[in-house]
Amino acid sequence: MTFPSLVLFLAFAISLASFAVLRLGLGRRVAAPFAPPRASAAAGVRYAFTTAFLPWAKESARQHLTSYVAGIVFHGAVFAALGLLVLSLVHVAPPPGASTVLAVAFAAGLACGLGLLAKRARTAALRAVSTPEDVAANLFVNAVLAAGLAAVRRPALLPVFQLVGAALLLYAPLGKLRHMLFLLTSRRYWGTYFGRRGVRPSPRPLAGPRG
Amino acid sequence: MADAAAIGRALEVLTERLDERTAAFLNACVRCGLCADSCHVHLADGDPASTPVAKLERVATHFRRYRTLLGRVAPGLVGAEDLTDEALQGMLTAAFGRCTLCGRCALTCSVGLDPSAVIRFGRTMLLAAGLVPKGILANRDAALETGNNMRLSREDVVETIQWLEEDLRQTLGDPAVRLPVDEAGARVLYALNPREIKFFPLSISAAGAIFHAAGESWTLTSTDFDITNYGFFAADAEAAGAISAKVIERAEALGVEELVVAECGHGYRTLRWEAPEWLGRAPKVRVVSFVEKMAEYLADGRIRLDPTRNPLPVTLHDPCNLVRNGGVIEEQRVVLRSAAAAFVEMTPNRAENYCCGGGGGLLAASEFAAQRVAAGRIKADQIRATGAKVVPSPCHNCIDQLMELNRHYKLGVEVKTLGEVVADALVPAPPVA
Repeated sequence: MTFPSLVLFLAFAISLASFAVLRLGLGRRVAAPFAPPRASAAAGVRYAFTTAFLPWAKESARQHLTSYVAGIVFHGAVFAALGLLVLSLVHVAPPPGASTVLAVAFAAGLACGLGLLAKRARTAALRAVSTPEDVAANLFVNAVLAAGLAAVRRPALLPVFQLVGAALLLYAPLGKLRHMLFLLTSRRYWGTYFGRRGVRPSPRPLAGPRG
Repeated sequence: MADAAAIGRALEVLTERLDERTAAFLNACVRCGLCADSCHVHLADGDPASTPVAKLERVATHFRRYRTLLGRVAPGLVGAEDLTDEALQGMLTAAFGRCTLCGRCALTCSVGLDPSAVIRFGRTMLLAAGLVPKGILANRDAALETGNNMRLSREDVVETIQWLEEDLRQTLGDPAVRLPVDEAGARVLYALNPREIKFFPLSISAAGAIFHAAGESWTLTSTDFDITNYGFFAADAEAAGAISAKVIERAEALGVEELVVAECGHGYRTLRWEAPEWLGRAPKVRVVSFVEKMAEYLADGRIRLDPTRNPLPVTLHDPCNLVRNGGVIEEQRVVLRSAAAAFVEMTPNRAENYCCGGGGGLLAASEFAAQRVAAGRIKADQIRATGAKVVPSPCHNCIDQLMELNRHYKLGVEVKTLGEVVADALVPAPPVA
């Protein structure tokens, strides 16, 4: 194992352990509900993790389609980068032709990431709630995408990609990037809440008047 | 003004009483701001401080300061701030003056979190600091002390109902009509908002007419009838549980099968969904909204309606606590389509409907009255766009706000309960074969 691979492996391990500690120390457990459900919590959770992501499912996506697409592309590229980092640890090369696809994905993700950063800078409502870390985290992720782009174009740069990726993994549990874990918990609670109450995925059909 | 002890109590809530769900939401928010346009307050005032994320941040900044590593060692980097009197005053304006806890932002959040749950937690911190608006606390305390938030005596209730019963008999020309009170063994207990007894008695008459037409075995109660819950608005779970318990235990003591909650959005939400969690048990009675009950009567053929008796165009305001947070979404539509000749939906509607601006206890917080009416402009615009002349809403808080919006924005509409619209359309049931 090369030194960058070793660092990356340790970073994965430390990051996963840190996330586990964060998750376990999240707060007081929420008790199982006593109110009888109106509809299915499971259906709500399934919805939260599937069709709720579709562009027409939420008003925010419908009204801000450009931001929605940028977010999808950006996060898709991040997942691809994480996948490539994992493959680099097990010495599995991407299939032939994948390099071009990955390069396009990383370039598009980078452009979208910078675009979202520009939006944050020029929108008053976003500036009002932004912290220095919003900028730092965005640039950090973009650096990983840039390093990934460089690595797929020039394989000799893979160690650089691994080291930048390792740094990101170590940082992720500390700042806003920890949403990568808590999004899962959050969506589960969201889906449970609206699912049990019959609000999402859709209200139950009703019988009309008789007679 | 919050002194050091008050700040300490608020901080203790943050450090000791945060639950997993709220903590997950606080950790998951990425401040993308896509929730901004979902909020009626922000749409009305355009102030960046009114976006859901800005209001959530009033809590999140302290969460980061006291409950995250980076917030402790590099607060400036992550926007983590100490909890101070100034911060609590800002939280007060955000959590009460700029938020009705309607939860519309939750449906639009790109991450899938509920900003209103975090803002409600902020209210709990404010409660500990003694900063919840006095009007809300006065109503909470009245309900705890007397069983209803208007301090109505048992005699007030009984006399009003007796008067209403005589009036209803004359109106319907039917001496058999009754408004029964405290009748153990009835199948249904119909629990009220005390404002109905004091200011809107016709909604009680309408319910009586509907129960009578449906041949229901039902009763009112002269004590512990108050379905409203200002403990809920104050984010005081202990008081909210005690207030809800009074109604549920009264229903259980009367031996009814169903507790039918009059037209009150948060009353339904608290008794149907929140009270079992506060009390740690499911009620022994089925808790159901009067809206659901009317839809059931229609589906079962127990009441018949003639929509031509309500000829004017009608639209519907969906109360946030009944619809988005309660799941009663289609029933009122089934009812209105049967009761009115021309029913026009607002846009948007159902779970995505805008709050009227009167939710979250704001009607009792006079210090925020101007903001409340200003935020109601979005609802006023929605109503005007329908061209409707009648606006029913199954919620007395919403009705109060809608009546004020009607005057302020000169909408020229009539605001009613759903039950009143249905009662106007009632026709005699066919003879049973």
